[in-house]
Amino acid sequence: MTWVAWRLQRTELLITAGILALLAALLVPTGIHMANAYNQDGLASCVGALKDSACGGKIGDFQTRFEPLSHLIDWFTLIPGVIGVLLAAPFIFDLEHGTYRLAWTQSITRRRWLAGKLALPVAAGVIAAGALILLLTWWRTPDVHINGRLDNGTYDAEGTVAIGYTLFALGLALALGAVWRRAAASLTVAFVGYFAFRIFVDTWLRDRLVSPLKVTWRDAPPRALNNANIVSEHVVGGHIQLKPPGGVLGGHAQLAVPSGPSGRPLVETLYHPASQFWQLQLAETGIFLGLALVLIAFAAWWTHERTV
Amino acid sequence: MSEPVAVRTDGLGKRYGSTWALRDCTLDIPAGAVTALVGPNGAGKTTLLHLLIGLGKPTAGTVEVLGLSPRGDAHALLPRLGFVAQDHPLYRNLSIADTFQLARRLNPGWDEPRAFARIEQLGLDPGHKVGKLSGGQQAQVALTLALAKQPELLVLDEPVASLDPLARREFLGAVLEAVAETQMTVVISSHIVSELERVCDHLITLAGSRTQLAGPIADIVASHRLLTGPRGDAAGVARVHDVIRESHTERQTSLLVRANGHVYDTCWEQHEVDLEEIVLAYMGYVPGASNGAPREAVRA
Repeated sequence: MTWVAWRLQRTELLITAGILALLAALLVPTGIHMANAYNQDGLASCVGALKDSACGGKIGDFQTRFEPLSHLIDWFTLIPGVIGVLLAAPFIFDLEHGTYRLAWTQSITRRRWLAGKLALPVAAGVIAAGALILLLTWWRTPDVHINGRLDNGTYDAEGTVAIGYTLFALGLALALGAVWRRAAASLTVAFVGYFAFRIFVDTWLRDRLVSPLKVTWRDAPPRALNNANIVSEHVVGGHIQLKPPGGVLGGHAQLAVPSGPSGRPLVETLYHPASQFWQLQLAETGIFLGLALVLIAFAAWWTHERTV
Repeated sequence: MSEPVAVRTDGLGKRYGSTWALRDCTLDIPAGAVTALVGPNGAGKTTLLHLLIGLGKPTAGTVEVLGLSPRGDAHALLPRLGFVAQDHPLYRNLSIADTFQLARRLNPGWDEPRAFARIEQLGLDPGHKVGKLSGGQQAQVALTLALAKQPELLVLDEPVASLDPLARREFLGAVLEAVAETQMTVVISSHIVSELERVCDHLITLAGSRTQLAGPIADIVASHRLLTGPRGDAAGVARVHDVIRESHTERQTSLLVRANGHVYDTCWEQHEVDLEEIVLAYMGYVPGASNGAPREAVRA
């Protein structure tokens, strides 16, 4: 069954490998270039010591230089969805083309067939997402030194969440395909659904996954807010929202806090510190993996029980 | 010795949503015979075949195939079955050789030399992509897959419906050849009778999702008569024989009957009927409806 599953999934697996190879071809040279620039500019010694204006300038220059590339790489957050949906295709083609009737009337039970047909894309999804994470984490190392890992673009590509994203997209496509039996339509809707859910998590759910810390401050933001994920920030006693929730306060960013008659106002900030990165990652990965498990189990059950 | 009965169903039914695709189906399919399952489109033939091979789960009744339950004993039964689904689905982007390798890995009883011998006999190149073959050739590849499993029961669902006349002849010829070589039981469904007569020795009709006529083809043909006579009442005949179809012109009445013994009444002229006409008559016949009289008189 292993050989059979591989042979029937070969095209999609090769496309997945091709996507990763293309990414590596883009990321490896630019990553080396960026790491060299980081070392040559001596930025390592500047990180964390931001009072020095020369350092601030250097970091600003570095960021401006690699900003277009960094913005391009932010779009790679869609790749787990593309790979997940792609890996679901052979399963749905089997239902659409009626070839499952050929498969299920060979000498193995449909339970074994389903196990093989579902285990392979799950394994491939985990491996592909893992490779993507390693590649992007390595690429972003200089940027992470400066801005930390809680910015959405970085957070989505590091840690473990991308594995959850990939399997969620896979599960959604499988579940839709099991019921609908139309590959093109199921994959399209699954990708749209995946994207919508990602937006919901990125903009709303993530701030509520782990209870945030609270800090009140006047004048300059405290060090604790360096590379933190700001959940909300408001003037104590007032209702002035200073920063929309979900943003990150960069290491060298300054808040333009309006001065009142009694000096600068007191600000209260709810935030996830950089140290909560793994707590956030594991909670979010758990949610995506849990949903993926339910969806894949549903696809297996529906196909086993309802498909004739 | 194989079992005298290959398939036995009792009150078998399958419902999709609120529609019964097959209802109250009780029949035996003899072992070692080639049985035609005939009925109009939508009669439930495909549903019945799917229940036999375990693709579907019965809503009502029971089904026993080679003494086993198709769903409950799938692991034991599947290696003994061969099935070619309607439109003979195959993985179109695999070559014939890859398709065979797939089958070899999925079937313990796979007979590789036989499979390749058949392909050679058909003049096909094993390296050829299945999707590039003609419909007739694809049907032959699908049949080869089913036969090389060395099944005890071969189930073919409308195998020739989508084929041209020449490909039909070749396909059914291949089935006949395989039957001659082995002791295989074969069930072929079709809505066309004429082409099956050459291949099958048993017949079961299915219409309105119920079975109506079942038995050896020779007995069926021998027991049916077309009676023609002056226009009149058929009640006298109906008392003794089963009137399957009754039709009238201005001067003449013709009755298709299943004769219970000889027809002695001399005012009727007797004719032999061919199988196709008998089957067509049964498609519009409901046994037992309005005192055994035909449901409706068909105007000629």
